[in-house]
Amino acid sequence: MEEDGEIEFSVRYPFTQTAKRVIQDQNIQLSDRVVELAVGRLKNAVQGKKPSKSTAIHKSQKIEEIGSYAAARMLTGYMRNNYVTERFAVYESKRARNYLESEKQEWVETVANEFGITSKEKESIFEIPLPVYLNYSPRSIEYRLINRKIDKGFVPVKKEERRRLIEEAVRKHVLHTPIVKNPTSSIRKAASILRSSFTKVTYGKRISLPRENPPCIQKLLESVKKHENLPHSARWFLAVYLINKGMSNESLVALFSNFPDYSPKTTKYQVEHARKRGYTVPSCSTVLTHGLCVSNCNVGTPSNWGRKRGKKK
Amino acid sequence: MNKKIKENLFSEYYKTMEIDIPSIEKREFGIGIDKKIDARHLSFKSKEDLRNYLVSTPPNFISHSTGYYQFPSITPIEKKVWMGADVVFDLDIHSETKYGVYQKLESIKEDAIRLVEDFLVSDFGISKKDIVYVFSGNRGYHIHTRNNDYLNLRSDGRREIVDYIMGSGLNYNNFFDEQEIKRGVVKLTGPTPDEGGYRGRFARETIRLLHEDPSVIARKFNDSAERDKFIEGINEGNWSRTSVKDIKNRLSVVADRLSVSCVNTDAGVTQDLSKLIRVPNTIHGDTGLVAKKVEKMDSFYPLKDAAVGWKGEKTVTFTEDVPELEFDSTYGPFKNKETKSLPASIAVFFALRRSATLSP
Repeated sequence: MEEDGEIEFSVRYPFTQTAKRVIQDQNIQLSDRVVELAVGRLKNAVQGKKPSKSTAIHKSQKIEEIGSYAAARMLTGYMRNNYVTERFAVYESKRARNYLESEKQEWVETVANEFGITSKEKESIFEIPLPVYLNYSPRSIEYRLINRKIDKGFVPVKKEERRRLIEEAVRKHVLHTPIVKNPTSSIRKAASILRSSFTKVTYGKRISLPRENPPCIQKLLESVKKHENLPHSARWFLAVYLINKGMSNESLVALFSNFPDYSPKTTKYQVEHARKRGYTVPSCSTVLTHGLCVSNCNVGTPSNWGRKRGKKK
Repeated sequence: MNKKIKENLFSEYYKTMEIDIPSIEKREFGIGIDKKIDARHLSFKSKEDLRNYLVSTPPNFISHSTGYYQFPSITPIEKKVWMGADVVFDLDIHSETKYGVYQKLESIKEDAIRLVEDFLVSDFGISKKDIVYVFSGNRGYHIHTRNNDYLNLRSDGRREIVDYIMGSGLNYNNFFDEQEIKRGVVKLTGPTPDEGGYRGRFARETIRLLHEDPSVIARKFNDSAERDKFIEGINEGNWSRTSVKDIKNRLSVVADRLSVSCVNTDAGVTQDLSKLIRVPNTIHGDTGLVAKKVEKMDSFYPLKDAAVGWKGEKTVTFTEDVPELEFDSTYGPFKNKETKSLPASIAVFFALRRSATLSP
């Protein structure tokens, strides 16, 4: 890649080795401007804004932007706040996905290779090595291995599905931020600015959760507490379970606000919708089908937990 | 069973045991005296270290981690620095009487072979040289896959593998496509035998059943012309060449035979990244049988091939009735209070199974 190309590539995909090299080659420093941009990047992420494409035109702007990703990562590594990191990961992965939608093939390949998502292409079907597929496929029903073709260690996926795998790979990469123990004073200062900008969200009442829950629900609740991103099916299952346990819409929305891609409007709609439809708690076999079963408790349906048949020994 | 006698016997075996543990220094070990695991977070620098330990203080059970760690003996577990883990499957018989299990082991063995051949090799493309069969020492088999590509797979990816092998959520109706070619005539297209994964397996198993036990699908298939016509169609992916009504629903019997259902998910062996599994070739303290690494699975018969082969005979007095059992030859049945001189391995087996006491 030419220098200009490398810089543009790094603006779009700042998590790559290429970007790392650009940072070194161009000797990008943690200037006030770079840190300021990083704070903006994280604020956008936390506020759940849709990532927009870069508006940088001049080389100097582009370089600051590349630096801002690195600085934002330093900030998350220093702050070690799950909520911020998870949201940042979702934001950056969606940002990358935006670019990939209309990216030239060569650059898509470079990004894919970065995560070992190598593939043989045949008539716009990509053959992904199984372990790679398992690491980066989202946990939703259409990506479940049982519903896929699989041949001699390869899983064929469509072009858009491969983009989804790359998005997931980016999200996981950003999530695994190395801990930053002794940052520069500018990072420290930025962290405190960021912290104070996140208004403490208070809800009318405390969320009270049912005390006794089956292992599958318990696992999901722990994920929520850690602000992990859960697939739609998992959120639906959790919502239906909690609605059936008598939880109010407000409490549910408050609970779901812990998700890194939380949008008040969508959550409120989904929760109200689920209640209106009067869904019953799915059976254990359905839970298993969605890959959400974590134990063999033999209760038939999660709502039987601790009631009908005995608890897990 | 007398502790001293047992320790001497175990110790004697461990002097010459073949140790095959890749990267032994990166594994955590756990030993058990009363339970399967009483103490964990142990580590051994080398095979010789492990051997010395086993010879001097042989435990009833010894397990090693499927995971590799930078610091295997440090606690808590987060500080060990996980570097990856083998993908291990635990296949066992869930509920069976104390001695009934040994007859059933043959079917678990078949499942283990199917898991390896059909799933790990055919579907997942894992090379056979990276796969090790190990008899668990009592009621099942362990399959260790030591393949670099799968080392870093996280827990949810491993769970996907288990679900896939167990066929949870499998809906074979999705394999088919119905198309009305003219009024009232529907063409059913489906998988061909040469396809990978469950699709190909479904087609192959259908053909096999049609040959071997056609009436399970429909009585009409006892007629060879009807059968051959249908099979010919399947080979081309055309599943409508039959006069059997409702053929798609009738094929559910095929779908039920495709997965391996005895993978033990309860204990989370496959998906737990810090799981301990019995060290291959060590003695199982409840049977005195060796958790043997099996080279020739087809002909392996645990009660004979996993016996330690201690020399001489030992006298036992039975404390309960025991049915006839096949070791290298048939022994029993034995009655409660009966006293008998038996080959050492068999005497120890009954003593450790708590069906007899060993005379000193």
